[in-house]
Amino acid sequence: MTTIQLASDATAAPPGLRTHLSAPRTRCAVAIQQAILQAARELLVGEGFTELLAPVIGPVTDPGARGSKQVDIDYYGHRYKLMTSAILYKQASLLSFGRIFYIAPNVRLEPLETANTDRHLTEFHQIDVEIADASRDEAMAVMQAVVTHAVRRVLDHTADHLDQLGRDRSALTELLDGPFERISHSAAVRRLHDLGHPQDPAAEIDWAGERLLSAGARRPFFITDYPKGSRGFYDRESTTEPGSLRNFDLIAAEGYGELSSGSEREFEYRRLVARMRETGENPAKYGWYLDLVRDGIPASSGFGIGVQRLTRYFAGLDAVWQASMFPKLPGVVSA
Amino acid sequence: MRALRADGFPEAEVRSRARTGAAAAFPPGADYGTTLFGGAATSGCPAADPLDLARLVPPVFMPRRLEKLIDLGREPLYHDVDLGTDVGGLRSPLPVYVSAFGSTMAASADVGESVSRQAGRLGLPMVIGENVVALGGYGRTDDAPERSMLRRLRAYAEALPDGLGGVAVQQSTEDADAEVWNLVYSDPSALPLLDSGRLAFELKVGQGAKPGIGGMTMVDRDSAVLLRGRYPLEAVHGTGELLRSSSPGTYTEEILRQQIRLMRNNFPRARVWVKLPPARDVAAAAAIAWQAGADAVTVDGAEGGTGWAPSAFLDHVGLPLGECLLRIGHRGDGLLASGRMWEGTRCVKALALGCRAVGLGRAALLAADEDRAAGLERFVRCLELELKLLTSALGRYTPADLTPEDVWFPRAFDGRSPVAHLDHDAAPRP
Repeated sequence: MTTIQLASDATAAPPGLRTHLSAPRTRCAVAIQQAILQAARELLVGEGFTELLAPVIGPVTDPGARGSKQVDIDYYGHRYKLMTSAILYKQASLLSFGRIFYIAPNVRLEPLETANTDRHLTEFHQIDVEIADASRDEAMAVMQAVVTHAVRRVLDHTADHLDQLGRDRSALTELLDGPFERISHSAAVRRLHDLGHPQDPAAEIDWAGERLLSAGARRPFFITDYPKGSRGFYDRESTTEPGSLRNFDLIAAEGYGELSSGSEREFEYRRLVARMRETGENPAKYGWYLDLVRDGIPASSGFGIGVQRLTRYFAGLDAVWQASMFPKLPGVVSA
Repeated sequence: MRALRADGFPEAEVRSRARTGAAAAFPPGADYGTTLFGGAATSGCPAADPLDLARLVPPVFMPRRLEKLIDLGREPLYHDVDLGTDVGGLRSPLPVYVSAFGSTMAASADVGESVSRQAGRLGLPMVIGENVVALGGYGRTDDAPERSMLRRLRAYAEALPDGLGGVAVQQSTEDADAEVWNLVYSDPSALPLLDSGRLAFELKVGQGAKPGIGGMTMVDRDSAVLLRGRYPLEAVHGTGELLRSSSPGTYTEEILRQQIRLMRNNFPRARVWVKLPPARDVAAAAAIAWQAGADAVTVDGAEGGTGWAPSAFLDHVGLPLGECLLRIGHRGDGLLASGRMWEGTRCVKALALGCRAVGLGRAALLAADEDRAAGLERFVRCLELELKLLTSALGRYTPADLTPEDVWFPRAFDGRSPVAHLDHDAAPRP
């Protein structure tokens, strides 16, 4: 069996499990994470959202994660998947409630090259939100509200932990200074080209590019309008600018990179089937989902915020694994 | 007693269909697994292919030979031809790669592994077919059984010299369920190939032997149990074995364009290949593939194929390879071609008409079947010699220097000359 070598410059390498679990750094990170989750729940429930328990397995899951493999399980002889994200279930759940969220566990067998990015875990959690009949702007506003509410709570309730970790609190108070900036994907590509980074204009902002943009920012910012061909079939294509998706990512400041992705969703049957083919999917395996869609599901917008990534950013941690009790890095066998 | 006769009519074929029903639409079921199919498999004569009618035509005046003469300081000979070629981003010592094989038993047993090992030793790029994972498994947690993808990958990679070759892993619409590309891209076994830039993914839009329909294999009852619910299964032969069909997938210009973009987005470190069937709009599809960023477009002529196909398709459906190449034109992009490739003249004609490299399908399997240890290697050495002889005869010293003027087509072919610049009197092509 091939062993994955983590980079020797080592934020990437977790210590032994006992050392990690008993480290003050781990306790501080989890305390900050708890404040984030409490704040997210408080804000969302206050805004009329219903918290649902997230599905863990299903015959299909989100195929939109770049290059990562889904985990197959043998479900009485049928191939089921662990959730890479519950996006399809979120859309379906809007038949019961108009505003929903999960704190959802996800598993993605990420490409091995991500073992050294400091920001990929194969097992992670998302604050996963979906809003019926909402525009992209409404979803972005809710996302910003969750993030700023969480940062307030972290500053108010876990200041000691931030100090213990050596986190500069003023970097976090800057998040409270009004709306996050927005730039389009094409503007982000131009900015990267100006910085000498060879970003493909038809693709997702690559990891190095994302780090460059993030490192040059003092506050989180949104990147909007990713090109079709860079995301899953459920991100809605603009009706006025074909080829452009009505989606957004939230990028952290200080080089911490992407925190969250969201979009307006495709919800019309014909468009969804065509988009499935454009993303190389076989519609037959999405039977339960397409049956619902054919009879109608609500239009919606939504997003997922990476809990461990947000924790890493707020806590100022070197690597995202430090925000997980039992971190699982791509290709690395661990607890 | 037969009451009727029908002289001059294919009476026997009609009676065969009357006796066996749907089974008569296929080659005899007993041939499955031991016979390689493809054009002319049942009729015995290939459909007219412009490549077969064409001749290679060396000129008297050879400015390229003069350049080579100056370079060498002596008269160049055939062994001065440098056949090294970039094949869709992979380096090959010859303008040759090994095509994917159908998923029949013929291509799945130890012959497949023998081909992999020899292709690896030769440093030839190799395509691993769409169905290898679906039918043989990946082999990661199931101890690498004989037919698995991992066994093929290992046999190939262990023998591969540094800096040469590479593997193109196919995926078609229905393989998307098995996430073959995601699996390979995130697997430690494929990491050496990925790290050395020798991993490609090939989007299978269609195939030569069955343009317009998907892959077909015959499966026994035990295998059918595992496949039920994922593939349609039909008992056409009434022998206990079932015909497993898959869909080729639906494509529009936008679907093809976006699938390629998504491949580039999701697998930025892998090369992107696109395999097209010999379709009437093959030129438009190739143009879209290149525009969307494909490193190579593979065209499989209607003469191609190793796998199970309905007899009707083998000789009457799809464009011959030569016509595909003429429609696409000599563009200088990464065009690859396969279909009845086994000797030098057909290969050089295809290269002159714009291909960067040609794929060996049935020839590679038969050569390995002849001698599991070294049959393919000896076969390729022979082909290498022919390629050098023919290329140098045309006054060229690399395959990239070959041009359409090196090929002559009979004026009468199909009532028109396929190469306008060689036939100024002919009517323009439609």
